[in-house]
Amino acid sequence: MQHFAELFIASVLLAGLYAAMAFGLGLIYGVLRIVNLAHGGVIMAGAYAGWWLYETVGLDPYLSLIPVAAAAFLFGVVIYRLLVRRLPRGAAGGVQSLLLLFGVWLILRNIAYLLFTGNDQTLRTSYSTKALSLANASISVNRVAVFFIALAILLFLHLLLRKTYLGKAIRAVAQNPDSCTLVGIPIERIYALTFGIGTALAAAGGLLGATLFPFSPSFGSAELLKSFVVVVLGGLGSIAGTAIAALILAMVEIFSILIPGFPVYLTAAVGFVLLVLVLVLRPGGLFGQRVLG
Amino acid sequence: MTVSPREPAAAKPRVPRGPVLPWVSRQALVGLVVVVALAAAWPALLHPSAYQKNLVTLTFLYICTALAWNWLGGYLGQVSFGHSAMFGVGGFVSARILLSVHVPFAWAWIGGGIVAGLYALLWGHPTLRLRGPYFSIATIGVGEASRLVFTYWEWFTGGSSGLSLPIESGLKARLYWWGLGLLAIMVCASYALRKSSLGLGLLAIKSDVEAAADVGISPTFYQDLVLFLSGLAVGVTGAFYASYFSYIEPGDMFGFVQSISFVLMSVIGGVGTIVGPVLGAIVFVVLRESLIASYPQLYLGLYGILLVVIILFEPLGLMGLFFRIGKLTGLVRPQVVAKAAPGGTGAVRE
Amino acid sequence: MTAPILRAEQVAKRFGGLKAVDNVDLQLAEHEILGVIGPNGAGKTTLFSLIAGSIPPTAGTVHLGDRVISGLPAHRAVHAGVVRTHQIVRPFGNLTVLENVMVGAIYGKRGPAGARERAIEVMEFVGLGDRASALPANLTLAGRKRLELARALATEPRVLLLDEVIAGVNPAEAQQMAELIRSVRKSRGLSIIMIEHVMPAVMALSDRVIVLDAGKKISEGKPQEVVRDPKVIAAYLGESAVKAPAEKPA
Repeated sequence: MQHFAELFIASVLLAGLYAAMAFGLGLIYGVLRIVNLAHGGVIMAGAYAGWWLYETVGLDPYLSLIPVAAAAFLFGVVIYRLLVRRLPRGAAGGVQSLLLLFGVWLILRNIAYLLFTGNDQTLRTSYSTKALSLANASISVNRVAVFFIALAILLFLHLLLRKTYLGKAIRAVAQNPDSCTLVGIPIERIYALTFGIGTALAAAGGLLGATLFPFSPSFGSAELLKSFVVVVLGGLGSIAGTAIAALILAMVEIFSILIPGFPVYLTAAVGFVLLVLVLVLRPGGLFGQRVLG
Repeated sequence: MTVSPREPAAAKPRVPRGPVLPWVSRQALVGLVVVVALAAAWPALLHPSAYQKNLVTLTFLYICTALAWNWLGGYLGQVSFGHSAMFGVGGFVSARILLSVHVPFAWAWIGGGIVAGLYALLWGHPTLRLRGPYFSIATIGVGEASRLVFTYWEWFTGGSSGLSLPIESGLKARLYWWGLGLLAIMVCASYALRKSSLGLGLLAIKSDVEAAADVGISPTFYQDLVLFLSGLAVGVTGAFYASYFSYIEPGDMFGFVQSISFVLMSVIGGVGTIVGPVLGAIVFVVLRESLIASYPQLYLGLYGILLVVIILFEPLGLMGLFFRIGKLTGLVRPQVVAKAAPGGTGAVRE
Repeated sequence: MTAPILRAEQVAKRFGGLKAVDNVDLQLAEHEILGVIGPNGAGKTTLFSLIAGSIPPTAGTVHLGDRVISGLPAHRAVHAGVVRTHQIVRPFGNLTVLENVMVGAIYGKRGPAGARERAIEVMEFVGLGDRASALPANLTLAGRKRLELARALATEPRVLLLDEVIAGVNPAEAQQMAELIRSVRKSRGLSIIMIEHVMPAVMALSDRVIVLDAGKKISEGKPQEVVRDPKVIAAYLGESAVKAPAEKPA
């Protein structure tokens, strides 16, 4: 039972990270109807950016979230303005945007190889190995910090989408871009900002991930798949749905080790199996596909 | 029901039909025969070096993979980033067959291909009901998971030390002919899938799945069928690859780079066309030999830049360029171009 | 009435809490043209989707002859002999007019043999004979509606479901389309259910009309009777209109 509680807490903590990583992917898809395949690349870039800032100027990874997210936001806006905007919208643009953003991902990966080699890196701070003890269980300080920061990011997004003019405009564009043009919402600017926000979220998620796991230039493809599983499970743009879906994924991953004889390397396939199960059983997602509802 | 006697001239079927294979136009058939004849005469006439001959054999192989990828990615608009999974399964199954029983390698290739096709159905049947981006992301997962799982399954793949196949003398020289034969089959199959009545159905699914179902097409069946065939063909080429190098290793066979190259070859040449992937594969091999060999640390970025630039400026790749020239000179009809549209063109909105 | 060719019994479709189609009964006789009218959002198109297999009903069954076709996937419904057109036309934009119709002929009831000839014949029948190699984008809206009809006819159905094939085209084209629908029944012997907003067309073409409102069938009968039904007038114009003598729709 003790073991069970520990695993449950570990799942909740991991779920925070997954939710933060996934939300950007869902947001961009909900508003632009484009799957941002560069998402995995940005996650990887965020991890390296945090690591580099810590190694060179000694900036604490949690503090570097702000400059890294800001830089990623600008990167996202630039990618939108320079590349994505030029693609046709709708079905014909689908394949093209996939391939184009896949290309961006490859470029990011290659840059990482050139700058930092293909070796695994770890972000180790003075408190990396510290742990809290809570009723005989010990929980890594980092995991708790990541969880609360992820929670804070999601809360911030919730307020942004619900309470601000920008957030309302984003939700309106997600629902009906044509009528937004009619009422004078600058739709192109909303698209660019959304792409920027989604990219910033990916980078923040990558940085948070880097404080927990080792990473290399190929970091990000498993995370992209996990983000995708969360989006399909939880629906688009619903924070509660995203959180629950992230928890389900994290629990399935972590609890799979309880199955006797379950080979650890298959954990990588767990997310995919979950995805297939959802697709077969609930093609509309667990909670129906709400678009920023 | 009879054909109306006062059929206007404009309604006359304009697609010429060859007598042998009803779906292949006469020009295409002649073209294919000429190309195969040239490739067959080349070793005897010009006495190429072993290096040149190997390069051409590999090009045959890459053309086959590009064509097979294009059946799914081009004809149906379902872009797969995980085709290395079937390439690897085909390679390792055929290797295991060759290592355990004494059969001609062609049988092992077919065995590998069939298992690869079934493997594709295993993950593809549930995910293919998703159109477009959803499917594509799922394939990234399939590729990654397959690579990890098969690397760990040492009893099957030999793990990171890989598998060595029995070496036969003179095999590489023979494989040139096998490669040429495989290429001819793949080109014919590409025509069959594109120009036959089956091909019309695939184009309809690509354009609008629901409308296709509403005129009697089962999207599930035909998408599964194409995925199986595509997996089978990629599996057979994987098996060819294994026989050719007589050593395979899961990190290479199941590698992300394999999947990318399948995508890239089609994109360079023109997704959804028949000639495109052939040209794309040739350009890809030339590019790899000249550029990548000198700057191996830059190949991912180069692939990425190629993808970005082509999609931005000419989403139909080389064929798009030809179409442009053709339109200017009036040689290519817009109907031909429309069929190659990269995504579903969707409904025509009023 | 002889045994109906198509029979829907208590079909219903709920989307969450919304009853889009609420226990509707419907019979279609051989060679009949049945009009389906109702205000926007009355559930007409959903009813078509239930009959044509695009979506499974929550409750109830649809029979074609002795066969239950409700719950069949769309392509199986086509093979059984029921085909629909779409209100917003959905031609395959990457195929020519002839190829669009050929898709119907190949994948419809009769299969690929002779599909080209059958497609050409249908194309001539709907008046698109000279546009065989055009792309759908180059047709007028009326032309695309004819294409939608031709593609459906090419599957050789017994029952044709027409979703607003007349609405949106100019009066002359509407007249031609109405003629075409009549000849579909006359020379091809089909039974037709048509959703239509253009009242003169419904009045002129339909043998019988059913009226849907908020998912429920509120009236059924000869066109002239139905438009005088107070319930129908109320559905279209609001309760207050019932008290004043209703004007006959033009």
